[in-house]
Amino acid sequence: MQTVTIQKLSKTYPGGKDALKQLSLSLNEGEVFGFLGPNGAGKTTTVKLLTGVLTASSGSCEIMGINPNTQPEKVHLLSGIVTEHAQMYDNLTGIENLIFYAAVFGMKPEEGKQRGELLLKELEMTDAKDRKLATYSTGMRQRLSLARALLHRPKVLFLDEPTSGLDPESAQNVNQMIHNLACKEGITVFLCTHQLRYAQEICTRYGLIEQGSLLALGTLQELRKQVFTSQSLRICASAIPASLHFQKRKTNEFETKIHDKKEIPVLVRKIVEAGEDIYSVNLTEPSLEDIYFALTASRKEDQTI
Amino acid sequence: MKPAMYAIIKKDFCGVATNRRLFSALLIVPLILTIVLPSIFVITIHFAPDDPDMMKLLELIPETARMDSMELTLSSLILNYILPVFFLVIPIMTASIMAASAFVGEKERHTLETLLYCPLTLRQIFQAKVLASFLLSMLVSLISFASMFLVIETELFFLMGRLLLPSASWLVVMLLVSPAISLIAVTLIVRGSAKAQSVEESQQSAVFLIIPLILLIAGQFTGVLLMSVWILLCLGVVCAILA
Repeated sequence: MQTVTIQKLSKTYPGGKDALKQLSLSLNEGEVFGFLGPNGAGKTTTVKLLTGVLTASSGSCEIMGINPNTQPEKVHLLSGIVTEHAQMYDNLTGIENLIFYAAVFGMKPEEGKQRGELLLKELEMTDAKDRKLATYSTGMRQRLSLARALLHRPKVLFLDEPTSGLDPESAQNVNQMIHNLACKEGITVFLCTHQLRYAQEICTRYGLIEQGSLLALGTLQELRKQVFTSQSLRICASAIPASLHFQKRKTNEFETKIHDKKEIPVLVRKIVEAGEDIYSVNLTEPSLEDIYFALTASRKEDQTI
Repeated sequence: MKPAMYAIIKKDFCGVATNRRLFSALLIVPLILTIVLPSIFVITIHFAPDDPDMMKLLELIPETARMDSMELTLSSLILNYILPVFFLVIPIMTASIMAASAFVGEKERHTLETLLYCPLTLRQIFQAKVLASFLLSMLVSLISFASMFLVIETELFFLMGRLLLPSASWLVVMLLVSPAISLIAVTLIVRGSAKAQSVEESQQSAVFLIIPLILLIAGQFTGVLLMSVWILLCLGVVCAILA
């Protein structure tokens, strides 16, 4: 089932800046979608359009079949939103903040308290629940925001840079939680980030955006196929016959480009038959970062032409 | 009204109550205007010598406004003609402090965006915040009114041996002028909230409401414009229409 659908969505700000140009994509239930791009690419604008805070200049979008522009309050009931600018109250404690937002989402105080305490426990924040928010670190605020977004058991979760300011351990904890939410509870996650390595850890599908335009869309494998026609194969061996066209990188380390994994056993067999010893064979697949830089570089080339 | 709106109102009330700076402003101004200032008036009247010039001045007052003694006549004039105008500063100040905190304060602290992601329409959030400002203004006005009368009547009883009944002006002030002027203050703050960058900047706009009030106070003291019940009623109706 499709939970988020975007069709030719564009946004031009009053100053004339085109923040988003003809964006089209759709998300399935339980999917962790990584919306990736540099600062100012249009990620936050997209989240604001999808949550009804901004009105689109053209195009349309729907969350579980509801138009956020005409019925934002219904969309907010179905979705949880974490953004850098959506802060909570410094004069209240962590749990008081959660009880307040639970009440705004129509939950009874006792129910809100129970749910809040459970989420704080999952996010390892039970010790800080009775402390005023003013004393919280950036990472703690970020985790509390995530707890706030999950209070009303949303179907879609919009996360704008959820791990910025988190230490590696907390980031891993949040990643695990997002993964569980998608896998076990079927929540669709729309994750905006410019941390590509982090995105590669948890996302199931990606959309790469730059200057408001979608550069590529698909799973990691699909993106690899779209961007790179070959993969890098590194072999550590005593020597490699010149007829195989390997390039020497270091002592006993050789590299070549292959188009299919099936080429690996053929090459290994030829090296062994030539009487050489093989110490290791590594197929280096392009990371999300490699794909992103390749895409942006080709875009820059196109613009120069 | 949705329970979510109650939650916002309750949170805004707690926000002001727990903020020492805002709370002290809400406490000190009513304390001065309703306890300190009236007490100074009453004590001054009691200890002032019987000046013949003052007696001549009092003779100019209509028969209906005169009472048993000069002390009581002056106290009655202060209570029913001077204090209502001073009193109007309270709803303006309370409403502007609360509205500035509720609208611009939320924007300043980046908490407004979080509220916008809640299942309430923009109108409902707006209504809840206006209602919170208005209710606090009315609550502070009512408490101030009650404490002022308690203190004045006690002072009058012990110093002059009599109690004075408040005139109909107070009824008009409490039921019409005060609510209307609170709403005007809230509206001014809300209108300015889009441009204002800080709570302090936002509160400046409510200062303009104090200017006509100062003119009224000056009018009352000099006798240029004496605020009767009817003038107050007209003022209340005009303010209500404006609000």
